[in-house]
Amino acid sequence: MTTQPLDLLQGTLDVLVLRALSWGPMHGYAVARFIHQGSDGTFTVLDGALYTSLHRMEERGWVDAEWGTSEKGKRAKFYRLTTAGRRAVRTETDGWNDYVAAVARVMKAMPAPA
Amino acid sequence: MHYPGETPRWRRYLNVIRREASADVDDELRFHFESRIEELVSQGMDAAAAREQAVREFGDVGAVRAGLVDIGDRVARKRRRSELLFDLLRDVGYAIRTLRRTPAVAVGILLTLALGVGANAAMFTLLDAIFLRQPAGVVQPDGVHRVWMLRHFSTGIQYSTVATYVQLEAIRGAVGNRAQMTVYRIPESMRVGTGELAAQAQVSYVGDKYFEVLGVRPSIGRLFSPEENRVDAQIPVVVISEAYWKRVYDGSPEALGQTITIAGAKYTIIGVAANDFTGVDLNAVDAWLPISLGSSTRPGQLPWWKNKRVNGLTMLSRASAGANERELEQRMTTVLRHPDVAMVLSDTGTTAQFGGLIATNGPGQKSKEEQIAVRLVGVSLIVLIIACANVVNLLLARSVRRRREIAVRLALGVSKSRLIRLLLAESAVISVLAAIIAVVVAYCGGSLLRTLLLPQIHWANGPLDWRVIGLALVTAIGAGLIAGLIPAVQSASPELTGALKIGTGSETVQHSRLRASLVVAQSALSVLLLVGAMLFVKSLSNVQSLDLGYDAASTVIASVRFDGGSRDSTVAARIPELADRLRAVRGVDGVAMISVRPMSDISFMTLFGESDSIKVPGFFPLVTGVSRGFFATAGLRILRGEDFPARGSATPPSFIVNQQMAKTLWPGLDPIGQCLRFGARNAPCFRVSAVVENAHLAVIEKDDPPQYYVSFDNLPDSAKWIKPYYVALRVPPEQYAAVAKEIRSNIRAVFPEGIPTTTRLSETIDPQYRPYRLGAYLFSGLGVLALLVAVVGIYSTVAYGVNQRIHEFGVRIALGASVKDVVSLVIGAGVRTVAVGIAVGIGLALIAGRLIATLLYGVAPRDPMVLATVSITLLLISVLAALAPAWRASRVDPVSALRAD
Repeated sequence: MTTQPLDLLQGTLDVLVLRALSWGPMHGYAVARFIHQGSDGTFTVLDGALYTSLHRMEERGWVDAEWGTSEKGKRAKFYRLTTAGRRAVRTETDGWNDYVAAVARVMKAMPAPA
Repeated sequence: MHYPGETPRWRRYLNVIRREASADVDDELRFHFESRIEELVSQGMDAAAAREQAVREFGDVGAVRAGLVDIGDRVARKRRRSELLFDLLRDVGYAIRTLRRTPAVAVGILLTLALGVGANAAMFTLLDAIFLRQPAGVVQPDGVHRVWMLRHFSTGIQYSTVATYVQLEAIRGAVGNRAQMTVYRIPESMRVGTGELAAQAQVSYVGDKYFEVLGVRPSIGRLFSPEENRVDAQIPVVVISEAYWKRVYDGSPEALGQTITIAGAKYTIIGVAANDFTGVDLNAVDAWLPISLGSSTRPGQLPWWKNKRVNGLTMLSRASAGANERELEQRMTTVLRHPDVAMVLSDTGTTAQFGGLIATNGPGQKSKEEQIAVRLVGVSLIVLIIACANVVNLLLARSVRRRREIAVRLALGVSKSRLIRLLLAESAVISVLAAIIAVVVAYCGGSLLRTLLLPQIHWANGPLDWRVIGLALVTAIGAGLIAGLIPAVQSASPELTGALKIGTGSETVQHSRLRASLVVAQSALSVLLLVGAMLFVKSLSNVQSLDLGYDAASTVIASVRFDGGSRDSTVAARIPELADRLRAVRGVDGVAMISVRPMSDISFMTLFGESDSIKVPGFFPLVTGVSRGFFATAGLRILRGEDFPARGSATPPSFIVNQQMAKTLWPGLDPIGQCLRFGARNAPCFRVSAVVENAHLAVIEKDDPPQYYVSFDNLPDSAKWIKPYYVALRVPPEQYAAVAKEIRSNIRAVFPEGIPTTTRLSETIDPQYRPYRLGAYLFSGLGVLALLVAVVGIYSTVAYGVNQRIHEFGVRIALGASVKDVVSLVIGAGVRTVAVGIAVGIGLALIAGRLIATLLYGVAPRDPMVLATVSITLLLISVLAALAPAWRASRVDPVSALRAD
């Protein structure tokens, strides 16, 4: 990690976590690895923030948590999208895409003649 | 769906939330770190460095952990709530299903509870309005006092609030700025508008500082100015209440400046009193007038505000901050005893005493209606107790029948607390439904009580408000749940093995003992209420069979009124014409002119004996001017002598006395021919020409009043003021409706500008019967209600008792018991329980009798006939209630009953 990692905007982390869970139920550590590998090191997410995001979504009813057994046979808390969560994936993803497009437009824009 | 019950871990959340949430978070984070470190180590890192990196990647472990625990707590609480709600809904659903399986019992419980609570809530609405609720719109009503005056009379102590303006001024001088004082006249019903269709409104005359003392402000316009408040002002202005303003003027500001005609005089509206203020009495005031308009000064006498005898005012006082109320009373007492202030000289023993603003809570004697209202609270509480006992009884009986079902549930591992909750859910469902019905009952009952007990009151509010609704809901649900708790707790602890056996062994001894004592209590309280009811009924019939002298049902008084209230001086001159016309009306059996109305007006004259003054202490005979035929018309029997002679016949001056007067003046002598002189010692001698039977002045009176009658054709010189103002008619009751119309049109023909009125004597005195009727009606109603409830209780107890002992009866019948044996066995058991209850009830009735003794007439509260009748009635009813189950017991088929084991 030579370059300074980018800070993530609030809410962005939720989108990433939802995206991760849209592949199927996984425990917190797996979500962390998923995001870490997916970003390819462009940005890093503090694992603590990730757990906070997961728990908040659990409170909001977007994900359900259940204790299960990990691939290595240990007790782990698994998260799974609920119906509301799946709906959230769609709207949040759309929102994120709009946001990215808007930022891109601004980046390409020229100042209008005064 | 992740349901809590499926994950045992979550169960533990219900117990110790904090610990569980943090333990969960710790488990999760531990797994995270172990996994990360393991992965890093597998990539070749040494353990210490791996741990360091894992922590770096994580961030502030402590803060994150704390945040996660917080979220975990919230989630757990939310889940617990939804779990509770879910369980509750399931229990309620179950309760509704089981109740529907036995609709008769469910409806029985429901109605019992609803009527019991509804009756109480209705009583509360009335008591609240009479005794508890402070008048609306008064600022700090606790700080305002009515000034009561305690007077010592030879007949005893009397409390009254009737005061004079002289007393007010004297008290104002004595208390200075320690208290603000004012006076007002109790509101009276007056005609508003003109003509026959004028509406009645409640009007009160108020003195200066009235609104100030009460803290009332105008919502629009203004209140009386100091100028208008002067005792000699006579400025025709009026302040109206918000309710009247909204009712009559739709709350429009245009009302200001308009004129209203009250009792014939015109007044200008200057303002509306704010905050729903309707005065400080039970009667809601519609309009206030300055006091100068409500008091008149007789010619040749002191102005009313300086006259010690012009009374009828009520004094209010608001003590200033820091003033000592006892000291104020002391100061008032001192000035009230001053000879220049006392109403009459004997008043010098007067003591001033503060009473609350609510008039009925003062130290004075409460009216009979109010006394009945207070006693009815006790009665309705008894009804509620009986109702609760019944609910317990019915629920208990039901749970007995469900013993097997409950035992199966327990055997299958349902926890006792869960089972109790389930059973309580049933009574909760019943209670809530009962509460709703109870509110409806309270509304109808409250309105009914108001019209029955205090029909003349113009109420400020409807009978129902949120407090009453709240009370009904809380009482119904509370009573239902408490009643439901007893059987629930009892049935949740059966002996499993016994209950599971098909043969429904015997009911536990405690069970039947509890139910028997419930029946004892119910029948005892029923006896109490029924004795009360019968006493009131007997007292009413005593009052109704009193001989008033008059034939009240067929005596009708015809008269004429005028807008403005003043008596037209030509009325007396035209009454003879009216009498002549009425003689010709078909359906009128008798017509006579009279100077005063029987049983409502009185007049006196000074009397002298033939040669001396009359020396009978306390003898004030009433005089009535009559024309020939009055006695026959009013149904008074002439016992000796004859009626006045026909008009124009030359006879010596005569008058007619009643028995009481003859007995008082000439004991042992022949009254006929005795002489009295009217007005002066040297006036000509009038001689008694006849004796008539006594006539009452009130329905109930200690002694018959002495009365005498003079003829309009032959009046004493000093009695020229006795003139015919009314016409008495004899009309058979069944023809009254038809004849009254005819009478009124004749009055209109003679008095085109007047307002005709026809009143039956029975209507005039009707209010005097009311307290007796009320006691009889209300006690009977509640008594019958109690009896019905008790009968249901007796029946259900006996019936379930029979169900429990089916096996025993089977054995008895198999061994040769006859139908008669079984029936008398069952009935005997039921009647024995009831008999104990009756004995207790008689005891209670003997003790409680004192409480209603003053409200009864001609019957003692310990009347043995009443006690005996009620006991026998209840015994017979209990036999009837036990009859059906007893018959069923005697029809038990021994084979099937025994096979059950």
